[in-house]
Amino acid sequence: MFEFDFMRHAFVGAAVVSVLAGTVGWFLMLRRQAFAAHALSHIGFSGAAGAVWLGFPPLSGMVVFSLMAGFVIGAEREGERGVPAQRDSTIGLVLAASLGLGAWFLHMSNRGSSLATTLLFGDVLGIDLRTLEALCGVAVLCLGLLAFLGRRLLFASLAPEVARARGVPARLVSVVFMAVAALACAACAEVAGALLAFSLMIGPAATALKLGLGPLAGIALSVGLALGLSWGGLMLSWVTDAPVPFWIGLGAALSYALADLWRRFRSL
Amino acid sequence: MVDTKRVCCQPERGLVLRDVTLTAGSTCVLRDASLTVPLSGMTLLSGRNGAGKSTLLRAMLGLVPLQGGEILTHGLPPAQARQHIGYMPQSVTDAALLLPAVSHVRAAVDGLRWGLPLRLRPRREEADRLLALTGASAFAHRPLGLLSGGERQRVGLAQALAGNPDLLLLDEPLAALDHAGQEQTVRLLGDLTARLGIGIVLTSHETEALAGVVTRVMQLADGGLHVRV
Ligand SMILES: Nc1ncnc2c1ncn2[C@@H]1O[C@H](COP(=O)(O)OP(=O)(O)OP(=O)(O)O)[C@@H](O)[C@H]1O
Ligand SMILES: [Mg+2]
Repeated sequence: MFEFDFMRHAFVGAAVVSVLAGTVGWFLMLRRQAFAAHALSHIGFSGAAGAVWLGFPPLSGMVVFSLMAGFVIGAEREGERGVPAQRDSTIGLVLAASLGLGAWFLHMSNRGSSLATTLLFGDVLGIDLRTLEALCGVAVLCLGLLAFLGRRLLFASLAPEVARARGVPARLVSVVFMAVAALACAACAEVAGALLAFSLMIGPAATALKLGLGPLAGIALSVGLALGLSWGGLMLSWVTDAPVPFWIGLGAALSYALADLWRRFRSL
Repeated sequence: MVDTKRVCCQPERGLVLRDVTLTAGSTCVLRDASLTVPLSGMTLLSGRNGAGKSTLLRAMLGLVPLQGGEILTHGLPPAQARQHIGYMPQSVTDAALLLPAVSHVRAAVDGLRWGLPLRLRPRREEADRLLALTGASAFAHRPLGLLSGGERQRVGLAQALAGNPDLLLLDEPLAALDHAGQEQTVRLLGDLTARLGIGIVLTSHETEALAGVVTRVMQLADGGLHVRV
Protein backbone atom coordinates (compact mmCIF):
# COMPACT_ATOMS: atom_id res chain seq x y z
CA MET A 1 0.00 0.00 0.00
CA PHE A 2 3.01 2.31 0.27
CA GLU A 3 3.46 2.54 -3.48
CA PHE A 4 0.87 5.32 -3.51
CA ASP A 5 1.79 8.90 -2.68
CA PHE A 6 -1.48 9.52 -0.88
CA MET A 7 -0.87 6.52 1.39
CA ARG A 8 2.61 7.72 2.31
CA HIS A 9 1.27 11.19 3.01
CA ALA A 10 -1.49 9.70 5.10
CA PHE A 11 0.95 7.70 7.22
CA VAL A 12 3.30 10.64 7.78
CA GLY A 13 0.40 12.97 8.55
CA ALA A 14 -1.11 10.49 10.97
CA ALA A 15 2.25 10.11 12.72
CA VAL A 16 2.71 13.85 13.16
CA VAL A 17 -0.80 14.29 14.44
CA SER A 18 -0.53 11.31 16.80
CA VAL A 19 2.58 12.62 18.52
CA LEU A 20 0.81 15.94 18.98
CA ALA A 21 -2.51 14.47 20.09
CA GLY A 22 -0.92 12.05 22.53
CA THR A 23 1.04 14.79 24.26
CA VAL A 24 -1.53 17.58 24.30
CA GLY A 25 -4.29 15.10 25.09
CA TRP A 26 -2.44 13.88 28.17
CA PHE A 27 -2.34 17.39 29.62
CA LEU A 28 -5.96 18.02 28.63
CA MET A 29 -7.12 14.89 30.44
CA LEU A 30 -4.90 15.65 33.40
CA ARG A 31 -6.58 19.05 33.68
CA ARG A 32 -9.99 17.44 33.15
CA GLN A 33 -10.66 19.47 30.05
CA ALA A 34 -12.03 16.71 27.85
CA PHE A 35 -15.02 18.89 27.09
CA ALA A 36 -12.70 21.64 25.88
CA ALA A 37 -11.02 19.20 23.49
CA HIS A 38 -14.40 18.11 22.21
CA ALA A 39 -15.58 21.70 21.77
CA LEU A 40 -12.38 22.96 20.17
CA SER A 41 -12.45 20.41 17.38
CA HIS A 42 -16.13 21.11 16.65
CA ILE A 43 -15.42 24.80 16.65
CA GLY A 44 -12.66 24.08 14.16
CA PHE A 45 -15.30 22.53 11.93
CA SER A 46 -17.18 25.84 11.75
CA GLY A 47 -13.94 27.64 10.96
CA ALA A 48 -13.19 25.20 8.17
CA ALA A 49 -16.64 25.68 6.69
CA GLY A 50 -16.11 29.44 6.81
CA ALA A 51 -12.71 29.13 5.14
CA VAL A 52 -14.13 27.05 2.31
CA TRP A 53 -16.89 29.58 1.79
CA LEU A 54 -14.30 32.39 1.53
CA GLY A 55 -12.01 30.27 -0.67
CA PHE A 56 -9.23 29.47 1.79
CA PRO A 57 -7.91 26.02 2.72
CA PRO A 58 -10.02 24.39 5.49
CA LEU A 59 -7.02 23.97 7.83
CA SER A 60 -6.48 27.74 7.98
CA GLY A 61 -10.09 28.29 9.03
CA MET A 62 -9.88 25.57 11.63
CA VAL A 63 -6.72 27.06 13.11
CA VAL A 64 -8.12 30.59 13.26
CA PHE A 65 -11.45 29.56 14.76
CA SER A 66 -10.16 27.14 17.35
CA LEU A 67 -7.40 29.56 18.34
CA MET A 68 -9.94 32.30 19.02
CA ALA A 69 -12.11 29.89 20.99
CA GLY A 70 -9.03 28.63 22.83
CA PHE A 71 -8.21 32.14 23.99
CA VAL A 72 -11.75 32.74 25.20
CA ILE A 73 -11.87 29.41 27.05
CA GLY A 74 -8.37 29.73 28.49
CA ALA A 75 -8.89 33.28 29.69
CA GLU A 76 -11.82 32.16 31.83
CA ARG A 77 -11.15 33.50 35.30
CA GLU A 78 -10.04 30.88 37.74
CA GLY A 79 -12.66 30.50 40.45
CA GLU A 80 -11.79 32.19 43.72
CA ARG A 81 -10.02 29.23 45.25
CA GLY A 82 -8.61 27.59 42.21
CA VAL A 83 -11.95 26.07 41.27
CA PRO A 84 -12.65 26.64 37.61
CA ALA A 85 -15.92 28.33 38.34
CA GLN A 86 -17.94 28.38 35.14
CA ARG A 87 -15.61 26.79 32.64
CA ASP A 88 -18.05 24.23 31.29
CA SER A 89 -20.74 26.84 30.72
CA THR A 90 -18.31 29.10 28.87
CA ILE A 91 -17.14 26.25 26.67
CA GLY A 92 -20.70 25.16 25.96
CA LEU A 93 -21.79 28.62 24.91
CA VAL A 94 -18.72 29.28 22.76
CA LEU A 95 -19.40 25.91 21.12
CA ALA A 96 -23.07 26.68 20.51
CA ALA A 97 -22.31 30.07 18.99
CA SER A 98 -19.67 28.76 16.64
CA LEU A 99 -21.69 25.75 15.51
CA GLY A 100 -24.43 28.21 14.65
CA LEU A 101 -21.93 30.17 12.60
CA GLY A 102 -20.78 26.92 11.01
CA ALA A 103 -24.29 26.11 9.87
CA TRP A 104 -24.50 29.56 8.30
CA PHE A 105 -21.13 29.12 6.53
CA LEU A 106 -22.21 25.74 5.15
CA HIS A 107 -25.41 27.28 3.92
CA MET A 108 -23.55 30.13 2.22
CA SER A 109 -20.90 27.97 0.59
CA ASN A 110 -23.61 26.09 -1.28
CA ARG A 111 -21.81 22.80 -0.91
CA GLY A 112 -23.69 21.82 2.18
CA SER A 113 -23.71 18.13 2.74
CA SER A 114 -20.67 16.88 0.81
CA LEU A 115 -18.46 19.51 2.41
CA ALA A 116 -19.90 18.80 5.83
CA THR A 117 -19.15 15.11 5.48
CA THR A 118 -15.53 15.74 4.54
CA LEU A 119 -15.01 18.16 7.40
CA LEU A 120 -16.81 16.07 9.99
CA PHE A 121 -15.18 12.77 9.14
CA GLY A 122 -11.86 14.00 7.84
CA ASP A 123 -10.08 13.04 4.69
CA VAL A 124 -6.79 11.55 5.72
CA LEU A 125 -6.27 9.99 2.31
CA GLY A 126 -6.61 13.40 0.69
CA ILE A 127 -3.68 15.02 2.50
CA ASP A 128 -1.41 16.75 0.01
CA LEU A 129 2.17 17.87 0.48
CA ARG A 130 1.21 21.44 1.39
CA THR A 131 -1.17 20.25 4.11
CA LEU A 132 1.55 17.94 5.37
CA GLU A 133 3.96 20.86 5.66
CA ALA A 134 1.34 22.88 7.49
CA LEU A 135 0.69 19.98 9.88
CA CYS A 136 4.41 19.66 10.61
CA GLY A 137 4.64 23.40 11.25
CA VAL A 138 1.73 23.29 13.68
CA ALA A 139 3.17 20.25 15.44
CA VAL A 140 6.63 21.78 15.88
CA LEU A 141 5.12 25.00 17.20
CA CYS A 142 2.83 23.20 19.64
CA LEU A 143 5.42 20.77 20.95
CA GLY A 144 7.93 23.60 21.30
CA LEU A 145 5.51 25.69 23.33
CA LEU A 146 4.55 22.68 25.41
CA ALA A 147 8.19 21.85 26.12
CA PHE A 148 8.80 25.43 27.19
CA LEU A 149 5.68 25.48 29.36
CA GLY A 150 5.99 21.88 30.53
CA ARG A 151 7.07 21.98 34.14
CA ARG A 152 5.00 25.00 35.11
CA LEU A 153 1.98 23.58 33.34
CA LEU A 154 2.41 20.29 35.18
CA PHE A 155 2.78 22.02 38.53
CA ALA A 156 -0.23 24.27 37.88
CA SER A 157 -2.30 21.26 36.79
CA LEU A 158 -1.41 19.02 39.73
CA ALA A 159 -1.53 21.58 42.54
CA PRO A 160 -3.09 24.80 41.24
CA GLU A 161 -3.22 26.58 44.58
CA VAL A 162 0.31 25.70 45.60
CA ALA A 163 1.65 26.65 42.19
CA ARG A 164 -0.03 30.04 42.33
CA ALA A 165 1.30 30.56 45.83
CA ARG A 166 4.83 29.92 44.56
CA GLY A 167 4.34 32.47 41.78
CA VAL A 168 3.42 30.39 38.73
CA PRO A 169 1.41 32.70 36.43
CA ALA A 170 -1.53 30.29 36.30
CA ARG A 171 -3.72 32.39 34.03
CA LEU A 172 -0.99 32.91 31.43
CA VAL A 173 -0.06 29.25 31.51
CA SER A 174 -3.70 28.29 31.09
CA VAL A 175 -4.24 30.62 28.11
CA VAL A 176 -1.10 29.52 26.28
CA PHE A 177 -1.97 25.88 26.89
CA MET A 178 -5.48 26.37 25.52
CA ALA A 179 -4.01 27.98 22.41
CA VAL A 180 -1.74 24.96 22.00
CA ALA A 181 -4.70 22.64 22.50
CA ALA A 182 -6.71 24.57 19.91
CA LEU A 183 -3.94 24.23 17.33
CA ALA A 184 -3.58 20.54 18.12
CA CYS A 185 -7.32 19.98 17.76
CA ALA A 186 -7.29 21.67 14.37
CA ALA A 187 -4.41 19.46 13.26
CA CYS A 188 -6.18 16.32 14.52
CA ALA A 189 -9.39 17.27 12.76
CA GLU A 190 -7.45 17.31 9.51
CA VAL A 191 -6.75 13.60 9.93
CA ALA A 192 -9.62 12.17 11.94
CA GLY A 193 -12.30 14.72 11.11
CA ALA A 194 -13.94 17.25 13.42
CA LEU A 195 -16.31 14.66 14.89
CA LEU A 196 -13.59 12.25 15.93
CA ALA A 197 -10.54 14.49 16.31
CA PHE A 198 -10.85 14.38 20.01
CA SER A 199 -10.97 10.59 20.11
CA LEU A 200 -7.29 10.68 19.20
CA MET A 201 -6.62 13.17 22.00
CA ILE A 202 -8.79 11.64 24.66
CA GLY A 203 -8.61 7.87 24.15
CA PRO A 204 -4.85 7.30 24.46
CA ALA A 205 -4.42 9.91 27.20
CA ALA A 206 -7.30 8.58 29.27
CA THR A 207 -5.86 5.09 28.96
CA ALA A 208 -2.42 6.24 30.14
CA LEU A 209 -3.92 8.10 33.10
CA LYS A 210 -6.14 5.15 33.98
CA LEU A 211 -3.05 3.01 34.37
CA GLY A 212 -1.71 5.41 37.00
CA LEU A 213 1.52 6.18 35.16
CA GLY A 214 3.65 9.23 36.00
CA PRO A 215 4.05 12.08 33.50
CA LEU A 216 6.95 10.74 31.41
CA ALA A 217 5.69 7.19 31.09
CA GLY A 218 2.13 8.44 30.70
CA ILE A 219 2.93 10.77 27.81
CA ALA A 220 5.09 8.12 26.15
CA LEU A 221 2.30 5.54 26.33
CA SER A 222 -0.26 8.08 25.20
CA VAL A 223 1.80 8.97 22.12
CA GLY A 224 2.46 5.30 21.40
CA LEU A 225 -1.22 4.44 21.61
CA ALA A 226 -2.21 7.37 19.41
CA LEU A 227 0.31 6.19 16.82
CA GLY A 228 -1.02 2.66 17.08
CA LEU A 229 -4.60 3.85 16.70
CA SER A 230 -4.07 6.10 13.70
CA TRP A 231 -1.69 3.78 11.83
CA GLY A 232 -3.78 0.78 12.75
CA GLY A 233 -6.84 2.66 11.53
CA LEU A 234 -5.15 3.42 8.22
CA MET A 235 -4.11 -0.19 7.66
CA LEU A 236 -7.45 -1.62 8.69
CA SER A 237 -9.34 0.75 6.46
CA TRP A 238 -7.01 -0.29 3.62
CA VAL A 239 -7.82 -3.93 4.20
CA THR A 240 -11.48 -3.55 5.04
CA ASP A 241 -13.69 -0.88 3.56
CA ALA A 242 -14.57 0.95 6.76
CA PRO A 243 -13.40 4.59 7.06
CA VAL A 244 -10.35 5.47 9.16
CA PRO A 245 -12.22 7.41 11.87
CA PHE A 246 -14.38 4.36 12.51
CA TRP A 247 -11.34 2.33 13.50
CA ILE A 248 -9.78 5.16 15.47
CA GLY A 249 -12.92 5.78 17.50
CA LEU A 250 -13.47 2.11 18.14
CA GLY A 251 -9.82 1.52 19.04
CA ALA A 252 -9.80 4.44 21.48
CA ALA A 253 -12.77 3.09 23.38
CA LEU A 254 -11.35 -0.42 23.30
CA SER A 255 -7.95 0.58 24.69
CA TYR A 256 -9.62 2.46 27.51
CA ALA A 257 -11.82 -0.52 28.33
CA LEU A 258 -8.75 -2.78 28.36
CA ALA A 259 -6.91 -0.43 30.71
CA ASP A 260 -9.92 -0.40 32.98
CA LEU A 261 -10.06 -4.21 33.00
CA TRP A 262 -6.33 -4.38 33.70
CA ARG A 263 -6.71 -2.10 36.71
CA ARG A 264 -9.59 -4.14 38.08
CA PHE A 265 -7.66 -7.32 37.51
CA ARG A 266 -4.61 -5.89 39.30
CA SER A 267 -6.61 -4.74 42.30
CA LEU A 268 -8.29 -8.11 42.82
CA MET B 1 14.36 47.72 44.68
CA VAL B 2 14.44 45.74 47.87
CA ASP B 3 17.74 44.11 48.70
CA THR B 4 16.67 40.65 49.78
CA LYS B 5 19.79 39.72 51.72
CA ARG B 6 19.98 42.95 53.66
CA VAL B 7 16.31 42.99 54.56
CA CYS B 8 16.44 39.40 55.75
CA CYS B 9 18.93 40.29 58.44
CA GLN B 10 17.04 43.28 59.77
CA PRO B 11 15.03 43.08 62.95
CA GLU B 12 11.91 43.13 60.76
CA ARG B 13 12.17 39.36 60.53
CA GLY B 14 8.70 38.08 61.13
CA LEU B 15 5.25 39.22 60.10
CA VAL B 16 4.49 42.92 59.86
CA LEU B 17 1.01 44.28 59.20
CA ARG B 18 0.67 48.02 58.54
CA ASP B 19 -2.89 49.41 58.57
CA VAL B 20 -4.14 46.32 56.80
CA THR B 21 -7.73 46.18 55.64
CA LEU B 22 -8.70 42.81 54.21
CA THR B 23 -12.16 41.65 53.17
CA ALA B 24 -13.38 38.37 51.72
CA GLY B 25 -16.70 38.65 49.99
CA SER B 26 -18.83 40.56 52.47
CA THR B 27 -16.77 39.48 55.50
CA CYS B 28 -14.34 41.97 56.97
CA VAL B 29 -11.30 39.96 58.06
CA LEU B 30 -9.02 42.80 59.14
CA ARG B 31 -9.81 46.49 59.65
CA ASP B 32 -6.83 48.87 59.87
CA ALA B 33 -4.84 46.22 61.69
CA SER B 34 -1.20 46.89 62.59
CA LEU B 35 1.04 44.34 64.22
CA THR B 36 4.58 43.03 64.36
CA VAL B 37 5.15 39.44 65.37
CA PRO B 38 8.14 37.09 65.04
CA LEU B 39 7.50 33.88 63.15
CA SER B 40 10.15 31.62 64.62
CA GLY B 41 8.97 28.31 65.98
CA MET B 42 5.31 27.44 65.62
CA THR B 43 2.59 30.06 65.41
CA LEU B 44 -1.04 29.07 65.71
CA LEU B 45 -3.50 31.27 63.84
CA SER B 46 -6.82 30.73 65.53
CA GLY B 47 -10.32 32.07 65.12
CA ARG B 48 -13.81 30.73 64.68
CA ASN B 49 -15.07 29.24 61.40
CA GLY B 50 -15.28 31.98 58.81
CA ALA B 51 -13.12 34.44 60.76
CA GLY B 52 -10.80 34.68 57.76
CA LYS B 53 -7.80 32.56 58.70
CA SER B 54 -7.46 30.99 55.27
CA THR B 55 -7.95 34.40 53.67
CA LEU B 56 -5.18 35.94 55.78
CA LEU B 57 -2.74 33.16 54.83
CA ARG B 58 -3.63 33.66 51.18
CA ALA B 59 -3.10 37.41 51.54
CA MET B 60 0.41 36.77 52.90
CA LEU B 61 1.08 34.90 49.64
CA GLY B 62 -0.45 37.59 47.45
CA LEU B 63 -3.27 35.30 46.31
CA VAL B 64 -5.93 37.77 47.45
CA PRO B 65 -5.53 41.54 47.25
CA LEU B 66 -5.57 43.82 50.30
CA GLN B 67 -8.08 46.62 50.44
CA GLY B 68 -5.53 48.79 52.20
CA GLY B 69 -2.16 48.79 53.97
CA GLU B 70 0.65 46.31 53.48
CA ILE B 71 1.78 42.91 54.71
CA LEU B 72 5.49 42.16 54.96
CA THR B 73 6.82 38.70 55.66
CA HIS B 74 10.44 38.73 56.75
CA GLY B 75 10.55 42.28 55.45
CA LEU B 76 9.33 41.38 51.97
CA PRO B 77 6.04 42.05 50.20
CA PRO B 78 4.07 38.93 49.16
CA ALA B 79 5.38 38.71 45.59
CA GLN B 80 8.94 38.34 46.88
CA ALA B 81 8.25 36.73 50.22
CA ARG B 82 6.56 33.75 48.62
CA GLN B 83 9.86 32.55 47.20
CA HIS B 84 10.76 31.64 50.77
CA ILE B 85 7.34 30.34 51.80
CA GLY B 86 5.85 26.87 51.47
CA TYR B 87 2.06 26.63 51.41
CA MET B 88 -0.40 23.83 52.07
CA PRO B 89 -3.99 24.81 51.24
CA GLN B 90 -6.93 23.82 53.43
CA SER B 91 -8.25 21.31 50.93
CA VAL B 92 -5.33 19.34 49.60
CA THR B 93 -5.55 19.12 45.83
CA ASP B 94 -8.19 16.94 44.23
CA ALA B 95 -6.69 17.30 40.77
CA ALA B 96 -5.10 14.37 38.94
CA LEU B 97 -5.91 11.75 41.54
CA LEU B 98 -4.76 8.95 39.25
CA LEU B 99 -1.15 10.09 39.24
CA PRO B 100 1.19 8.57 41.84
CA ALA B 101 1.83 10.79 44.87
CA VAL B 102 5.51 11.02 44.03
CA SER B 103 4.68 12.71 40.72
CA HIS B 104 2.83 15.41 42.59
CA VAL B 105 5.88 16.12 44.73
CA ARG B 106 8.30 15.98 41.80
CA ALA B 107 6.16 18.50 39.93
CA ALA B 108 6.42 20.85 42.89
CA VAL B 109 10.19 20.44 43.15
CA ASP B 110 10.99 22.02 39.79
CA GLY B 111 7.62 23.47 38.90
CA LEU B 112 8.97 27.00 38.72
CA ARG B 113 11.31 26.35 35.82
CA TRP B 114 10.59 26.95 32.16
CA GLY B 115 11.67 24.39 29.59
CA LEU B 116 12.47 20.72 29.93
CA PRO B 117 14.75 19.30 32.62
CA LEU B 118 18.19 18.28 31.42
CA ARG B 119 18.67 15.73 34.16
CA LEU B 120 15.91 13.96 36.03
CA ARG B 121 17.98 12.49 38.83
CA PRO B 122 18.30 15.57 41.09
CA ARG B 123 14.57 16.15 40.99
CA ARG B 124 13.82 12.52 41.84
CA GLU B 125 16.25 12.52 44.73
CA GLU B 126 14.86 15.76 46.11
CA ALA B 127 11.29 14.44 45.91
CA ASP B 128 12.32 11.22 47.65
CA ARG B 129 14.05 13.23 50.37
CA LEU B 130 10.93 15.35 50.99
CA LEU B 131 8.67 12.30 51.08
CA ALA B 132 11.00 10.61 53.56
CA LEU B 133 11.06 13.77 55.67
CA THR B 134 7.27 13.77 56.00
CA GLY B 135 7.04 10.01 56.44
CA ALA B 136 5.28 9.45 53.12
CA SER B 137 7.80 7.17 51.40
CA ALA B 138 5.80 4.03 52.03
CA PHE B 139 2.86 5.08 49.88
CA ALA B 140 4.63 7.46 47.50
CA HIS B 141 4.05 5.28 44.45
CA ARG B 142 0.33 4.77 44.97
CA PRO B 143 -2.13 6.99 43.10
CA LEU B 144 -2.96 10.07 45.17
CA GLY B 145 -6.67 9.30 44.97
CA LEU B 146 -6.23 5.99 46.77
CA LEU B 147 -4.51 7.54 49.79
CA SER B 148 -6.31 8.30 53.05
CA GLY B 149 -6.86 11.88 54.17
CA GLY B 150 -3.93 11.74 56.55
CA GLU B 151 -1.62 10.20 53.96
CA ARG B 152 -2.58 12.86 51.46
CA GLN B 153 -1.77 15.52 53.98
CA ARG B 154 1.75 14.15 54.28
CA VAL B 155 2.11 14.37 50.52
CA GLY B 156 0.79 17.95 50.68
CA LEU B 157 3.35 18.74 53.34
CA ALA B 158 6.14 17.31 51.17
CA GLN B 159 4.86 19.53 48.35
CA ALA B 160 4.93 22.57 50.61
CA LEU B 161 8.54 21.80 51.57
CA ALA B 162 9.66 21.85 47.93
CA GLY B 163 11.93 24.78 47.17
CA ASN B 164 13.50 24.80 50.65
CA PRO B 165 11.22 27.40 52.25
CA ASP B 166 12.15 28.95 55.58
CA LEU B 167 8.52 29.52 56.46
CA LEU B 168 5.56 27.15 56.10
CA LEU B 169 1.95 28.31 55.96
CA LEU B 170 -0.22 25.29 56.73
CA ASP B 171 -3.99 25.63 56.50
CA GLU B 172 -5.65 23.10 58.82
CA PRO B 173 -2.93 20.42 58.73
CA LEU B 174 -4.66 18.55 61.56
CA ALA B 175 -8.13 18.37 60.07
CA ALA B 176 -9.10 14.91 58.80
CA LEU B 177 -6.68 13.23 61.20
CA ASP B 178 -7.56 10.92 64.06
CA HIS B 179 -6.00 11.39 67.49
CA ALA B 180 -2.91 9.32 66.73
CA GLY B 181 -2.52 11.01 63.34
CA GLN B 182 -2.69 14.42 64.96
CA GLU B 183 -0.02 13.50 67.47
CA GLN B 184 2.20 12.20 64.70
CA THR B 185 1.79 15.33 62.62
CA VAL B 186 2.38 17.63 65.58
CA ARG B 187 5.57 15.72 66.35
CA LEU B 188 6.60 15.97 62.69
CA LEU B 189 5.99 19.73 62.63
CA GLY B 190 7.87 20.22 65.89
CA ASP B 191 10.71 18.26 64.36
CA LEU B 192 10.76 20.48 61.26
CA THR B 193 11.00 23.65 63.34
CA ALA B 194 13.67 22.19 65.60
CA ARG B 195 15.83 20.38 63.05
CA LEU B 196 15.52 22.57 59.97
CA GLY B 197 14.84 25.87 61.72
CA ILE B 198 11.71 26.38 59.63
CA GLY B 199 9.08 28.73 61.01
CA ILE B 200 5.53 27.39 60.83
CA VAL B 201 2.24 29.28 60.82
CA LEU B 202 -0.71 26.95 61.02
CA THR B 203 -4.44 27.27 61.44
CA SER B 204 -6.27 24.71 63.49
CA HIS B 205 -9.21 24.20 65.76
CA GLU B 206 -7.34 21.44 67.64
CA THR B 207 -5.97 23.63 70.41
CA GLU B 208 -5.62 20.63 72.70
CA ALA B 209 -3.39 18.62 70.40
CA LEU B 210 -1.19 21.69 69.94
CA ALA B 211 -0.92 22.74 73.57
CA GLY B 212 2.71 22.83 74.64
CA VAL B 213 4.22 22.87 71.14
CA VAL B 214 3.08 26.22 69.78
CA THR B 215 5.30 29.20 70.47
CA ARG B 216 2.53 31.79 70.20
CA VAL B 217 -1.10 32.16 69.25
CA MET B 218 -2.47 34.78 66.87
CA GLN B 219 -6.17 35.27 67.46
CA LEU B 220 -8.24 36.58 64.57
CA ALA B 221 -11.49 38.18 65.73
CA ASP B 222 -13.67 41.21 65.03
CA GLY B 223 -11.39 42.66 62.35
CA GLY B 224 -8.31 42.56 64.56
CA LEU B 225 -5.36 40.27 65.13
CA HIS B 226 -4.06 39.75 68.66
CA VAL B 227 -0.99 37.87 69.79
CA ARG B 228 -0.69 35.75 72.90
CA VAL B 229 2.58 34.10 73.84
N1 LIG C 1 -14.04 34.44 47.44
C1 LIG C 1 -14.92 34.68 48.39
N2 LIG C 1 -16.10 35.26 48.10
C2 LIG C 1 -17.00 35.53 49.06
N3 LIG C 1 -16.79 35.24 50.33
C3 LIG C 1 -15.66 34.66 50.69
C4 LIG C 1 -14.65 34.33 49.75
N4 LIG C 1 -13.61 33.77 50.38
C5 LIG C 1 -13.97 33.72 51.66
N5 LIG C 1 -15.19 34.26 51.87
C6 LIG C 1 -15.88 34.39 53.14
O1 LIG C 1 -14.95 35.00 54.03
C7 LIG C 1 -15.03 34.42 55.30
C8 LIG C 1 -13.67 33.93 55.74
O2 LIG C 1 -13.31 32.78 55.01
P1 LIG C 1 -12.05 31.91 55.39
O3 LIG C 1 -12.04 30.70 54.54
O4 LIG C 1 -10.85 32.77 55.36
O5 LIG C 1 -12.39 31.51 56.91
P2 LIG C 1 -11.59 30.55 57.88
O6 LIG C 1 -11.29 31.34 59.10
O7 LIG C 1 -10.45 29.95 57.19
O8 LIG C 1 -12.69 29.47 58.21
P3 LIG C 1 -12.51 27.90 58.56
O9 LIG C 1 -12.15 27.81 59.99
O10 LIG C 1 -13.87 27.33 58.31
O11 LIG C 1 -11.48 27.35 57.65
C9 LIG C 1 -16.08 33.33 55.22
O12 LIG C 1 -17.29 33.86 55.74
C10 LIG C 1 -16.23 33.06 53.75
O13 LIG C 1 -17.53 32.70 53.42
MG1 LIG D 1 -9.97 28.09 56.58
